[in-house]
Amino acid sequence: MAEFEPQIIAFCCNWCTYAAADLAGTSRVHYPPNVRIVRVMCAGMVNPIYVLKAFEGGADGVLVAGCHHTDCHYIDGPVKCDDMVEKLREVLHVLGLEDERFRRELVAASEGGLFARTISEMVGDLKKLGPSPFKAKTEALA
Amino acid sequence: MEESKVGVYICHCGLNIAGVVNVEEVARYIGTLPNVAVARTYRYMCSDPGQDLVKKDIKELGIDRVVVASCSPRMHELTFRKAVEDGGLNPYLYEHANIREHCSWVHDDRKLATDKAKDLIRAAVKRVHHHEPLVIREIPLNPNVLVIGGGIAGMQAALDIANGQNHVYLVERDPSIGGHMAQLDRTFPTLDCSECILTPKMSDVGHHPFIELMTYSEVEEVSGSIGNFAVKIKKRARYVDESKCIGCGDCEEKCPRRTESEFEMGLCSRGMVYIPFPQAIPNTATLDKREERPCKAACKEACPIHMNVLGYTSLIKEGNFEEAYEVIRRTNPLPSVCGRVCYAPCEQACNRGQFDEHIAIRELKRFAADHEQELGKGKAVPAERTKEERVAIVGSGPAGLSCAYELVRQGYPVTVFEAGPEAGGLLRWAIPEYRLPREMLSNDISYIEGLGAEIKTNTPVKNLSEVFDQGYKAVFLATGADISQKMGIPGENTPGVLHALDFLKQVNFGSKVDLGSKVAVIGGGNAAVDAARVVRRLGVGEVTVVYRRSRDEMPAHPAEVAELEHEGVKIQFLAAPVKVLSENNAVTGIECIRMEMGATDSSGRRRPVPVEGSEFTMDVDNVIMAIGQGVDKSMLPEGLSYTSWGTLDVDPVSLQTNIDGVFAGGDVVSGPADVIAAIAAGKKAACSIDAYLTGEELSVEDDGRVEKLSDEELASIKERFVSRARVRAGKLDLEKRMKDFGEVEGTYSPEEAREEAGRCLAAAVEGCFECGECQAVCEAKAIDFGQEDEVVEVEVGTIIVATGYDQFDPSGIPQYGYKKLDNVLTGLEFERMTCAAGPTEGRIQLKDGRQPESVAIVHCVGSRDQNYHEYCSRVCCMYGLKYAHLAKELASADVYEFYIDMRCFGEGYEEFYKRLSEEGVNFIRGKVARVTDEAQTDEEQGKLIVVSEDTLLGKMIRVPVDMVILCSALEARSDAENVGRIFNINRRADGFFLERHVKLDPVATPTDGIFIAGCCEAPRDIPDTVAQAEATAGKALSLITKGTVTLEAAISTVDEAICHGCGRCEEICAFSAPKVISKNGNLISSVNEALCKGCGSCAVVCPTGAIGVKHFTQEEILAQVSALTEAH
Repeated sequence: MAEFEPQIIAFCCNWCTYAAADLAGTSRVHYPPNVRIVRVMCAGMVNPIYVLKAFEGGADGVLVAGCHHTDCHYIDGPVKCDDMVEKLREVLHVLGLEDERFRRELVAASEGGLFARTISEMVGDLKKLGPSPFKAKTEALA
Repeated sequence: MEESKVGVYICHCGLNIAGVVNVEEVARYIGTLPNVAVARTYRYMCSDPGQDLVKKDIKELGIDRVVVASCSPRMHELTFRKAVEDGGLNPYLYEHANIREHCSWVHDDRKLATDKAKDLIRAAVKRVHHHEPLVIREIPLNPNVLVIGGGIAGMQAALDIANGQNHVYLVERDPSIGGHMAQLDRTFPTLDCSECILTPKMSDVGHHPFIELMTYSEVEEVSGSIGNFAVKIKKRARYVDESKCIGCGDCEEKCPRRTESEFEMGLCSRGMVYIPFPQAIPNTATLDKREERPCKAACKEACPIHMNVLGYTSLIKEGNFEEAYEVIRRTNPLPSVCGRVCYAPCEQACNRGQFDEHIAIRELKRFAADHEQELGKGKAVPAERTKEERVAIVGSGPAGLSCAYELVRQGYPVTVFEAGPEAGGLLRWAIPEYRLPREMLSNDISYIEGLGAEIKTNTPVKNLSEVFDQGYKAVFLATGADISQKMGIPGENTPGVLHALDFLKQVNFGSKVDLGSKVAVIGGGNAAVDAARVVRRLGVGEVTVVYRRSRDEMPAHPAEVAELEHEGVKIQFLAAPVKVLSENNAVTGIECIRMEMGATDSSGRRRPVPVEGSEFTMDVDNVIMAIGQGVDKSMLPEGLSYTSWGTLDVDPVSLQTNIDGVFAGGDVVSGPADVIAAIAAGKKAACSIDAYLTGEELSVEDDGRVEKLSDEELASIKERFVSRARVRAGKLDLEKRMKDFGEVEGTYSPEEAREEAGRCLAAAVEGCFECGECQAVCEAKAIDFGQEDEVVEVEVGTIIVATGYDQFDPSGIPQYGYKKLDNVLTGLEFERMTCAAGPTEGRIQLKDGRQPESVAIVHCVGSRDQNYHEYCSRVCCMYGLKYAHLAKELASADVYEFYIDMRCFGEGYEEFYKRLSEEGVNFIRGKVARVTDEAQTDEEQGKLIVVSEDTLLGKMIRVPVDMVILCSALEARSDAENVGRIFNINRRADGFFLERHVKLDPVATPTDGIFIAGCCEAPRDIPDTVAQAEATAGKALSLITKGTVTLEAAISTVDEAICHGCGRCEEICAFSAPKVISKNGNLISSVNEALCKGCGSCAVVCPTGAIGVKHFTQEEILAQVSALTEAH
C-alpha cells in the first residue's frame, strides 16, 4: 500500500505568507507537494467556515498563516486571526480533531525558507497522525 | 447560478512550468470540467500572442470567465486582467492560478506536481464561476510628494520631482541633509571630491522653491493610501530659532560641554550646540538637549556675576581642567582670589543642598585656578585694542580690577590708579595671607595687566578735571570703604586700642605690632574673625571675640567662625563693651554689658538690648575694634555727592555719579560688602561705561531667580541619585598654622576634584544642561530653551523612502581589535582622516601623530561572512582601492589589501583596479584571521600584525603594519523595522527593505504609492543610488502626470436585505469604514468606500453574512476550498 500522503489547505495572507511562498519558489526551496494555497488578503479575513469546509472536504490539515503582528497591512489583522483561531480550536477539539491538524503561523514575506520548513514539518506531523477522522467518515458515506 | 463559459490558459513558461508539470495532461483534464469552454496551453502566456489568445477566445468563442495558470498573481494578475478587459470583459471576471512559484519551482516529482496543478486550476475554475463584475473607481492623486531621508538618494529624488514644479516635503532625521556621502572624502574610481559634487546639490535642495526641507524631523505616522496619504511629522525641537540663526558658530565655540562628533566619526568632539559640518544645510545650529536638568541651576542665579558653575563643574568632572579654567575666566577676573575668599552665595543656593550637601563650588574653582598655575599656564594673551577712548579707574580693589578686566577685553585702553604701593586694595592689605596667599592675588592681577590694563601704584587721584585733561573719557571710582568706624565709648583712644583694618594692614605690610598676652576683638563680622585669627598667629595665647548678638546672627562666614574656634579663640556672645579700662595710658581691660535679643530692627535682625546691671569686666592688654567700615571722603576727589550713609550717591542702573562720565561702584557705593559683590559692580560699571562711550542704550539684563526644588522634584532626585557627602579638601595642621601665615585651606587632588564635581546634579545630564553660555553669546538671540517638539501634518500622494544604511560596527568581530587596539580604523573614520576639511586636515596619522609607513586594508569585514552578514556590501572593494591610493599618495605608505575576491564591476572600476595594481599595492588574497599587537619577531615590535591566510601561496602569513583599515559592511538601519512598520514596507531576512520585484519592480514596494531608493533597499554605490533615486522620482512623476489613482474594487459591501445593524463590523474595523445608520426606519451597516481597505475582518464577525468583501466572497472562497479537497 502506498504511503499516506496528507492533504493540507493553507490560507495565506497576500502580503506576507503568500509572498513568502512565492519567495520559496523563486529561491527554488523545495517542500512536499501536499499543500494547496488559498490566497486571502489578510489572515483576519479567514472565516472559520473556510477551515471547517476544508476539514469537511477531507483535508488532513489546515494552515492559517500571515504577517507578524507588527507587519500587518491592515494594522491588526493578525490579532483578529488569533482570536478566531483560539475559538475555532475549541470547536475542532470538540469535533475530535487533533491539535496538530490546525496550525497558525506567522511567516513574513522575506521568510521563504520558513514557509517551506513549516510545510515540511506539518506534512511530517500529519503523516504520523494518519488521515483525518473526518476523511474516513466522508469516504464511508461516499 | 447560470452556466458560465470559462476559458483556461496554461502557461509553459518555457520549461519553468512545463519542465515539471505535464501541461498538456493538465489541459486535457481541465477541458473535461463543467463550465470550461476551452483549455489551452501556450509557451509564454504573458507575451502578446499569449494574451491575444485570451482576447480572441472572448470574441470568437464567447467565453465569459478566464483563468490563467502561470506564475504568481503578484507578478502577472494585472497583466491578464488588462487582457481580459481589452477583450471586452470586466477585469474581475478573471482568476489566476499560481503553478510556478507554488508548484513547478518547489516540487520535482512530475506526477505530484501535475496533480497539484490540476487541483489549483480546478479550484480557480470553480472560484471564477462565482466572480462578479466590479466597478473600478478612480480618485484624484495629491501631487505632493514626501521624501524620507536627506542623503544623496533623497536629495536626488526630491530635486527631480521639484524641478517638475511639484511640491516636495523632504524629511531628514539629522540636523543637516547630506547623509553618508557628505562624510566621504573622495569618490571612486574618479577620485573627485565628494563634497565638491554633493554640496551644490545640497544647496539646491536648501533653496529650491518647491522643496520644503524638514531637518531634525521624523515621520511618526502614515495613514491613507496611494494618492492620498496623511503624514504626521515630528519636528524635534532644535532649541534654536531657524529664522534667526545665522550659522556663525559662536555658540558652539563657547559651549562648555563636548561630545563625540557623529559626523567626524568620533575623531573629534563637538559642542552640545553645534553645526555638524561647515557646509551643513540648513546652516543652523542645533542644541543637543536630551533630558531636563534635574536642578534649577540656582548656583548660577545666586552668583552676583552669574558664573557658569554648571559649565566648569561638568568640565572638571570630565577631567577637562584647562577648559574649566577658561570657562571661569570668561566671567571671573580673579579666579584664584574668588576660589579662596568668595563667600560663595552659589553654594548656599546649590539645589543639591536640599538633598544632601551643596557642591563645593568655591573649592572647585580654586582647584581649576591652581591647576592652571601648576601647569605654568594661566598667562594672559594681550587683548586686541579696538577702541580709542581711554578709561581711568581709581582704586585697584576687586571692583576696579573687575571693571578694568571687562573694559580691556572689550578693546578699551584702561589705566588703574592706585594710591597705595601695591595693587589689590582690601584683598591685599585686609585679607590675611593664611586665607589668600599674596602670590595668588598677584597672579590674578598680573593676568589683568597681561591683558593690557595699565596699573599705576602710588598715584592717588584728587582732581577729576586733571584726569579728563589727560585725555580720559570716563572715570570709574572704586576706592572702597576702608576706614574703621568708631564705637564712641570712653577710653577708645587709649594706646593699645586698635582698629581692625589698621591692624590687618600693618600686619600684611610687615610692620611689627606689639600686643600683650590677652586681646579682645570687638565685632562679629569677617574683619573681626580675620583680626582674631591673625592675633593668634602673632603668638597671643588668649584671644576673645566679643559680639553683641548670638551665634545665629553672626555675619562672619560660619566656616570661618568654626576655624576661629578651632584655633582656640573664645567668643563672648551677647556682650558689648561700654568702656575701655586703662592705667598709665595702657589698656588693662574692658567693661562689657550683657545683652539680650529684642525686637527685629530695620535690617531684619533682632536688635540686642542691654541687660540692666549686668556689667562685667574682662582683663585684656589690647582691644581690636572691628565694628564696621566707612568711606574715607578725604581720599575722594571734590564735587561728588554722597548719601546719608556717607557712601557715594550714584544712579542705581548706570552707576554714574552726579558728574558726567564719572562712575562709581564697589564698597564706596554699597558700603562694606564682599569681594564678589565688588566684582559684580565693576562688571556693571564696565557695561555702563561702554554704553556711555559708544552712545548706545544700556541694556539691563534680568537677574533671574534663585529657585528651590519643589517637593516632587526633590523626591525624584532622591530616587535617581545616591546621597554622597561633599569631598573635603585637607587643612593645615593646627600646630603649623600658629607658626606662620601658611594657607589653611588645602586644595583638591585632580581625583578629588572630579569626584566632587561629579556630585553636581546638572553634570549628570546627558547632552545640553542649559548653562546658558550659548544664549549669552548669541548676538542673533536665536537660542530658545523653551522650544518644544512640534507635530506637523502634511498630505501627499506618493512617498519615497531613502533612509540609507548604518556602518557595521566591527567591534562585533573581536579578533580584528577595533576599539581595543590603537590605529585600527573603520572606513568612514579613514574617510574623515583623509578629508582636508576633517579633524586632521587631511593628514593620515597614527594615534601618536606619526604618519603610518605601512597600512593594511581588510576587505569583507562583516560582509560575506556567515557569522555576520552573508551578503556582499558591493562598495568595499572599490573604496578599499581608493584608500590604497590615498595611503600611497598622502602618506607614501606601503599598502596591503587583504581581499577575498575583487569585485570591480562598474564603469571605470576594473580600470581603477588595474591602475592600483600598477601603483605597487600589495594584493593578498585571503580572509584576515586576526589583528594583534603581540609581536613574535623584532620586526613586528610596536606594530599591528595582520594574520591572514594567503590562498594563492596556500599558507598563513603575518604582515606587520602601522595602521589597519577595516572595510566595514553596510547594514540595514538599526531602526529599519520601525520605519518599515510606519510605511508598511516589509524587510528581507538581511534587514533591508523588500522591493516589489527584485528584477522588474526594484524601487516599488508592495504598498502602492510608496517607493524605495538607495541603500535602504540594499548596499549600493553612489551611481546606482542616484539612478534608483531618479527611478523613484520617475515613478512618482508618472503618477502625478496621470493625476488619478485606481482604487481597489475589492472592498466590503453590505447586503441590506439581511443586515440587522448589530454593529459588530463597525466595532472590528481598524479603518472605521462601516457605520451603522438608520435607513427607512431600519438599522443597517453602510460602508464608506474611501476608507475600506478590503481586509475582510468585518465579514468574519458578521453573524448574518450580510457584509462581505467583493472578490473575496464566502461563495468564492468556499468554492475554491471545496474544489481543492475534491478527489479527482
